[in-house]
Formats: sequence, structure tokens, C-alpha cells
Amino acid sequence: MPATAAPIISLADVRLRLASRAGPVDILRGISLEIGAGEAVAIVGPSGSGKTSLLMIMAGLERATSGSVTIAGHDFTRLGEDELALVRGREIGIVFQSFHLVPTMTALENVALPLEFAGNPDAFRIAEEMLGEVGLGHRTSHFPAQLSGGEQQRVALARALAPRPQLILADEPTGNLDGNTGNQIIELLFDLHRRRNATLVLITHDPALAERCGRTVRMADGRIVGGDTQVEAA
Amino acid sequence: MTSAGTTIAPQARSARSAGPQVLRLALRELRSGFSGFHVFIACVALGVMVITAVGVLTDSLRRGFEQQGELLLGGDLVLSRAHRPAEPKELAWLNAQGRMAAMATMRTMARRIDGQDQALAELKGVDTAYPLVGAVQMQGGAGFAEAIHKQGGAVVAPILLERLGLSVGDSIALGSTTVPITGVVEDEPDSITDNLTYGPRVFVSLETMQRTGLVQLGSLVRWRYALKIADGRASEEQLVRFRDQLASALPDSGFTVRDRRNPSPRVTRSLDRLRQFLTLLGLTALLVGGVGVANAVATFIDRRRRVIATFKSLGATSGMIFGVFLTQVLLIAAIGVAIGLVLGYLVPVIANAIYGDALPIRATVTISPWSIASAAAYGFLVALVFTLWPLGRAELVRAGVLFRDEVAPEPVRPRPRVIALTVATVAALVLFAVLSSEVRWIAIYFCVGLVAVFALFAGLGVLVTYVARRLPRSTVPEVALAIGNLGAPGGLTRSIVLSLGAGLSLLVAVALTDSSMVRELTTHLPETSPTYFVLDIAKTDADEFRQLVNRVAPGSEIRDAPMLRGRIVELGGRPVDQIKPAPEAQWVLTGDRGLTYSEGVPEGSRVVAGEWWPADYDGDPLVSFEAELAGHLGVGLGDTVTVNVLGRNITARIASLREVKWESLAINFVMVFSPNALQAAPHSLLATITLPPDADLARDAELARAISNTFPSATAIRVKDAIDAFNDVFGKVMTAVRVAGSITLLAGALVLAGALATAQRRRIKQAVIFKTLGAIRKRILLSHFVEYAVLAAVTAAVAAVLGTISAWIVVTQVMEIDFTFSSTAVLGALALALVLVMGFGGFGTWQVLRAPAVPYLRSD
Repeated sequence: MPATAAPIISLADVRLRLASRAGPVDILRGISLEIGAGEAVAIVGPSGSGKTSLLMIMAGLERATSGSVTIAGHDFTRLGEDELALVRGREIGIVFQSFHLVPTMTALENVALPLEFAGNPDAFRIAEEMLGEVGLGHRTSHFPAQLSGGEQQRVALARALAPRPQLILADEPTGNLDGNTGNQIIELLFDLHRRRNATLVLITHDPALAERCGRTVRMADGRIVGGDTQVEAA
Repeated sequence: MTSAGTTIAPQARSARSAGPQVLRLALRELRSGFSGFHVFIACVALGVMVITAVGVLTDSLRRGFEQQGELLLGGDLVLSRAHRPAEPKELAWLNAQGRMAAMATMRTMARRIDGQDQALAELKGVDTAYPLVGAVQMQGGAGFAEAIHKQGGAVVAPILLERLGLSVGDSIALGSTTVPITGVVEDEPDSITDNLTYGPRVFVSLETMQRTGLVQLGSLVRWRYALKIADGRASEEQLVRFRDQLASALPDSGFTVRDRRNPSPRVTRSLDRLRQFLTLLGLTALLVGGVGVANAVATFIDRRRRVIATFKSLGATSGMIFGVFLTQVLLIAAIGVAIGLVLGYLVPVIANAIYGDALPIRATVTISPWSIASAAAYGFLVALVFTLWPLGRAELVRAGVLFRDEVAPEPVRPRPRVIALTVATVAALVLFAVLSSEVRWIAIYFCVGLVAVFALFAGLGVLVTYVARRLPRSTVPEVALAIGNLGAPGGLTRSIVLSLGAGLSLLVAVALTDSSMVRELTTHLPETSPTYFVLDIAKTDADEFRQLVNRVAPGSEIRDAPMLRGRIVELGGRPVDQIKPAPEAQWVLTGDRGLTYSEGVPEGSRVVAGEWWPADYDGDPLVSFEAELAGHLGVGLGDTVTVNVLGRNITARIASLREVKWESLAINFVMVFSPNALQAAPHSLLATITLPPDADLARDAELARAISNTFPSATAIRVKDAIDAFNDVFGKVMTAVRVAGSITLLAGALVLAGALATAQRRRIKQAVIFKTLGAIRKRILLSHFVEYAVLAAVTAAVAAVLGTISAWIVVTQVMEIDFTFSSTAVLGALALALVLVMGFGGFGTWQVLRAPAVPYLRSD
């Protein structure tokens, strides 16, 4: 189902085939999807259905075997690795289930990193503000391993949003957290999404969480199945 | 089911089964394979290989010596002494003991009969019984006995013919006679027992030698008598018995006796020294590799934390966990040791197959149990030293913090017993190195030096990390990332600095020692040394000799001193065979020493204790001894020294101790006697001639020609030739040292590669995260480059300073020559460090940049 707003993500017949010892495996089998700016979209489906691969393609971290991928006006199929990195640095914030913080850097340095890459002279000031926004203003000099799981994910969230990206991609951001902490993170994520008016694409196994998004895309066996479910945003 | 009588008390059962259980668990744990242990195994194997190879090499040469001792010596025993042939009574006794061959050797000038050229030669006169064992091989298969005895000619080494431009059939002048060249010698069976350093061999019969007029009372002739006292090989018992009988039958003969068990103590001693030195270098390589061992174990324990936690949750004690992983690590060390032993054995086998002909003797590749045991002991001890600490930390870590130790390091110290065990292992290693060394103080200094070097580079690693953490964050992201990595907990800094530091320091020290020595030999020494040493100038020719030199080379400086040869037979009233001197002074007691007498303190000497005798002293014989050697020999002022000169024992009291500047190459002696002690003995003079600085080569050659033509019995040794010969030997030694030093660097490179490999997964993940956050590849590449460049530069700079200080100490304090700094050597070290770190690091970075992002980002 086409997006109502101008699309920030436009995928057409995207296929992904990977080599494996047992022979080539079709991970994505012709995905076509448009997501409008400011939308919140949940991608749901069983394990192995291709959700994460789809998210990686949207992030430019995986290249589609065929099909067209246009993100924030950039044709990803035509961009080189470094150009993709630059687009990510400016336009896309990614939140992982396993946080993927740089273990050798403090919370502040982790958050400042994408801003530094983008050459922002205020990197550390913004990073400090962001950490304050996620409630970690007092933990700026801690290393990831000195933080709890929830705190680590809040740092990851601050890092993803620090450059004010148009697009937030989140891969099961609460998968490694307990229920309470997970809820806090989700509140934070949706709050930031709303306040920044950024597009949010969220992979989740949690039906309740999916319901909070305006739209749900169901995947199975590398395909979108059953069409999109559009709901009134909560 | 157990009855009460057979029930084993729980404690006893646990004690009885703990050992096998630990082994069983360790073996089960090993099922996970050896990945991550390749560098561990390689590091242990490399060090053990070097030590084993050194052991096999020396074992083989020693075995070759023992097996071929009879051939090398030319008999079961050889008796020798300077100046004086055996008297009829002595000859009769010797002849009665078995078959005997007589020889006389001396240095002399072999001259063209037209007087146009001359060369220093080692003349050997032999009787018809020579050689008792083996045969002299001649070119063209001519008969040796025929050539020298029947034809009365000289059989010479090919190099002499080349130097003098002569061929077989021509004649050479020896002393006051001419001798036809009747053959060319290809192989001399007992050559190794002679010190053929100065010139090529010239064989003549003893009769011909007498005819030359060179054999005079007091001239420097060494008389040798080879004996076969048994039909086959003389047994050890027979050899010992012979020595006893000789001592009682000819008590004051002054003969030096060698037997087939150790045909050349000089060579044997050199071998022992070489073994010690190269073993210590092997130990250095092993210790540098130890860093790789420690890294591997730390990583291994890191990977095994879940297993440890599981063990603990299932009731395993800390001691049990320590035991299991220690056993496992020792089993892996055993693989490294085994590989090292095999490779160490193969290296000499291959070297012998390729270069065997270049050795002075045919080496039978063999290995003694001691060599195997010591190489293995070093391997296990070093492995233990470097594994106990990380193993001790693992047993203490609570399961709850297992997953956070790397970045949130709670400073976990191993238990006191593990610390004590580590200290005990280090002590055992040092003790083993020291006790198995021939010269223990060298081993002690070496160990202290090594500990200092390790401490320094470990400290440097900590310092770099500390500084990097405290530097204000750079605004340039590449630099900020690089500095961040340098200061990161669990980063590469300490491993790289520690692994490369020792090897680079060693190479800088070797290079600077080499450059200082080369400068000394090629520039300084020739400038300050005499041009010629002239031996065997008859006392009566002294004035004529001076006149000749002043006529041919006006402005030359001539110095002379009386010269005799004698053997020390007693020191401080004790026979020398009962004295165990410090190894560095042993040479003074073995064989003949040059002796002199003088009214005044000789030039280049300074009296540091006691008093010099008055000019007209006529009391009991006095002697002045070189101070340092006197200390090593345990004698001092007032002690007596008995020397055997021309068969007479002369006892003198030590009246003074002198400090001698040996490096000046002036005439210097260990012992200088009061004139009344030796004046009456027949002797010749030793002189040095220093040509004026403007003398050209033609004048130099003319003087040599004039001396040998006018004084046929005198031997002129050109100092520059001797220095060149020494330079050549020194060059070879330095090459060997450089190769050994390179092995340390190779070990360092292994550790470096291992550390980089261990960090690789983390680095790839880091780079992937950077990419997701918008970093382009150039940025990651640059940050790695900056990190590696800083590490290489800091390590090389400190290594350069440390190497320079070490070389300065060796050069100025041990060799006592001027230190020459060579910027090439230091820049070379820097370049090498950059190449190694950049090479390995660059390869790693290339892989980091190629790595796909997705596998690292997916959740486990």
C-alpha cells in the first residue's frame, strides 16, 4: 500500500540472494514498499522472514541483488560504499537490538561519534544534550560495560538521533531488555520520533508495539504478506 | 556398593581423583581445538627451536671432537712446550710409552729467493713418524714423506704460492736457507690444534727446519710430541694413567699435555661460550614470545568465561578451575616445545648437509639429553611465567562480572599463592639460566637487563595508554579515534610496545656496537697502532735492526722488549691444575704466555697497587701482574708465581699490579718480571715499528722486505693485516649475533601478528559501527594509520635510546673502545618498526575494510 506522505523510502521489487554452503539462498523475494516521511512503520514476521535484511538494505549496509532502493532521495543502487556511509551519517539513525556501542568509548564519545564523522564542530555539546534528553546526563563518562542494558540502549538511541536523521531504523530495540526497561526505551523512541518528526521503521515481535506504529508490514519467507495494516496512530 | 571397610573418606577420594579429573576435564576442554593458540605454539616453538638448535650444534661439534679427537690431535696424547725440544732422557721415556712423532712449529717469513716479496707463514717441521694418525693429503696425490724427507723440500699451502707468485718446483727462502717447493698440502689432519691465524702452512722435515737457522735457543718455537700409547684408541683409564706417570717420571718437564678427549681446549671453550651466548639470545626470543603466550592465554580465558562460570555453577572450586586450565595450557605448551625440539634438531641437520664442509671437523649431528632437557625446561618455564597470571585472574572472577571485565576492569589480582607461584617460576627461570651458564655473571647481567627491558617496555605501554586517555579529544575524528584506540582498555598498545621493543633495542644495540667496533678497527686502531710487530729479533741484532729501520723508513718509532715464552706452573704456591680460575682468566693458565722483564714500568701500563722495583734491583725475583687478571686468578701482592721457562722453574713474588691499556696494541704483557729474574735466560726481542704518518705503501713494503732479507730469523707481522683478519672474524660473529637478534624480532613479529589477530574481530566490529554512523573508509584507514604510526614511532624511539645506552655500555665499559653513534642504525630500527607494524596492521586494516557489515550487526 503506497504511503500517503511523500515517500522517504521507496523499494521496488527488491531481491536479495546470498550464497551459502548449501547453495544460494533467496532472502528477499521481490519487496516493494513505500514509506512516507514522518511515518512510523512496524515490520513484523517470524524469524528468518527477512526483516533484518530488509532493514539493512534500507540502511545501505546490505546491497540488494536486484530491484531499486531509494532512501531520502538517494538511489542506493548507484552509490558507492563511502557515499552510502555519508548518507547514513546525515540522514539515517540506526538502533540495534544488541546496542553496538563502541566498548572502548565513553557514552558521550559514542553519541558524539556520528556528529564528529559529519564534521559537526558542536559534536560534544549536542551529544551531551542528547544524553540529557534520554536521561543519562549524569552517565556521560561511563564506558558501555559500566552501564546497564537499558542505559546502553538509551545511549544507542541518543547516538542514532544525535545527527537529527530523517529516518530512524530500529531492529528489535527492546529485544535484549526486560519488560519495564523495554517500555521506557519505546516511550523514548516514540517521543523522539514525534518531536523530531522523523520516520521510524521498527522491527518487532511484539504485537502491542507494532500496534503503536501507524502502519504494520508483515513479512514471511522474504515477501510482504497480507498487505499493510494502517491504523490510527496512538 | 561399598562396605564400611572399603569406603573412602571424601577428602581422600577427592585428593586421589583430583589429578586425573583435572586432566580429564582439561582434555575435554581441548576438544574446542587450538584456534587462538597458533601464536602461543609458534612463540614457544620458535624459542625452543633456537635453544635446541644451539644445543644440537654444540653437542654435535663436541661429539665430533670426541670421536675424531685422536685424528685431530694426531695421537692419543700430545705433549708440547715452547723454546726447548725434549731432552734425550725425556725422549727415551716418551719413546718407551708407545709410538711417537715429533714436530716443531713457529711463525716465520717465507721469502721469494729474489728478495722481492715475502709472506708470513706457519712453519711446521716434522719427523718421519708424523703423522701418527691419519695422513697429510697432497694435491695431485703426491707422497708427503717423499716430498719433505727424501727430497728435503717444503710442502706448502696453496695460498702461499698464490701470495708469492710461485709454483711447485720453485724455491723459497726460509731463515738462512732455501728450500725447494716439492708439494702442495690439501689437508692436514691435526691442523685444528694449531692456531693458524697468521699465515699459511709450510711443512718441512725437522732436519730442514734446523738448517734454516730459525731454531735458536730463545726463539719462539713450539715443540710437540704426539704419542700413540695403545694399539687402538687409548682408553680413558690409560690416558689418566699416562698423565700420572708423566708427572712422576718427568716432574719438571713443563710439558702441556692434551689428550684425545679434548684435543683443543681453546675451541671447546669457544664452543661453550658460543652456546651460552646463543642460548641467552634464544631465551630472549622465548621471553618476547612469552608476551604472545600471555596474550593468547588471556584471550583464551576471556573466551572461556562462560565455561568457567558454568563450571563454577556446577560446583567446581577455583583451585579446580585453575588446575584444569593450567593443565590445558601446559599441554598446549608441550606441543610448542615438541615442535621446537624437532625443528631445533632439524636446523643443524640441514645446515650440516649444506655447510658441513665449511666446518673444521666433520660434525655428527647428535643431541644430548641435557640439550633436550634444558630447551624443554626453558620452554615450559617461560610458558608458565606468562600464563600463571592470566590463569590466576580467571579463577577469581565471579560469574556475574565475567562479561564485563574487559572494559570495566576491576583490578583483579590473582590470589597470593598464584602470585607466589609466578615469582617462584621467574626465580626458577633466572636460576636455571644462571646455573647452566659457564660465565655466571654474564647470565646474571643478562637476566637483570632483560627484566629491566621488559619492565621498561611494559611501563611504556602503560604510559602510552595513560597519556592517550588523558589527552584532550582531538577535533580531527581520525586522530580522536586513533588516540581512543591507543588508550582503550584491552587495546593493542601494550602488546605492540612490549613485543617489538625488546627485539628492536637488541638490533639497535648490535648495530651500534658493530659500527663502533668497525670504526675502531678501520679508522681508530690503524691510526694509533704500530705498523709492524717484529718477533724473534736476536738480542745481538738489536742495534743493527734499529739502524735498518731508521735507514729504510726514517722517522719511524721503534719500541722493543725482551720476549720469552713460559707456562705458569704454580700460583700462590698451588699447582695450576688445582686452581679453578674465573672463566675469563682461564686462558692465562692454559699453554704458554709471553713473558718479559723491564727496569721501568712499560708504556701503556700504570701501577695500581704495590711498588715497582728499583732500577738496579738484585734481590729475589719479582713480578708485576696485570691487575684485573690477578683478581680473576685470586692472587695479589706478595703471592708467588712460578713459571717454567726453558725447563727451569722460576718463582717470583708479585710486587705490583698494573692496569694495562690492551687496546693500544703496544707491547704489553700479563707478567713483567724484574730483570734479574729472566735476563740470563736465552731470549729474543719483540719490537714494534710505527711508520711516520706520511709513509706510503711502497715504503711499508720496502721495510718488510728489508727486515726479512736482513734478519731472516725475524718475523714481521703487519698489524693492519692482523686487524683485517680480526675484522673478518668479527664481521662473521656480528652476522651471527644479528641473525640471533633477528629471531627475537621474529618472535616479536609473531606476537604482534597474534595481538592484531586477537583484536581483529573487535576492530572489524568497531569499523562496522563506524560505517553505520557515517564513517567513510578513508577515515577508518587514516585512524588506523595514525594509531600504528604513533605506536611504531614511540616503540622505535625508546628502543633506539635503550639500544644506544646498551651499546654505549658494552662499547665503552666492556670493550673499552670509543663509542660511535650511527644514525643509520637508529633510523633503520625506526623504519623496521614502521614496516612491521604497518605491514601487519595494514593487512589487518585491509581485512577490516573488506569485512561485510551485516554479520557483525545481526543479533546473536
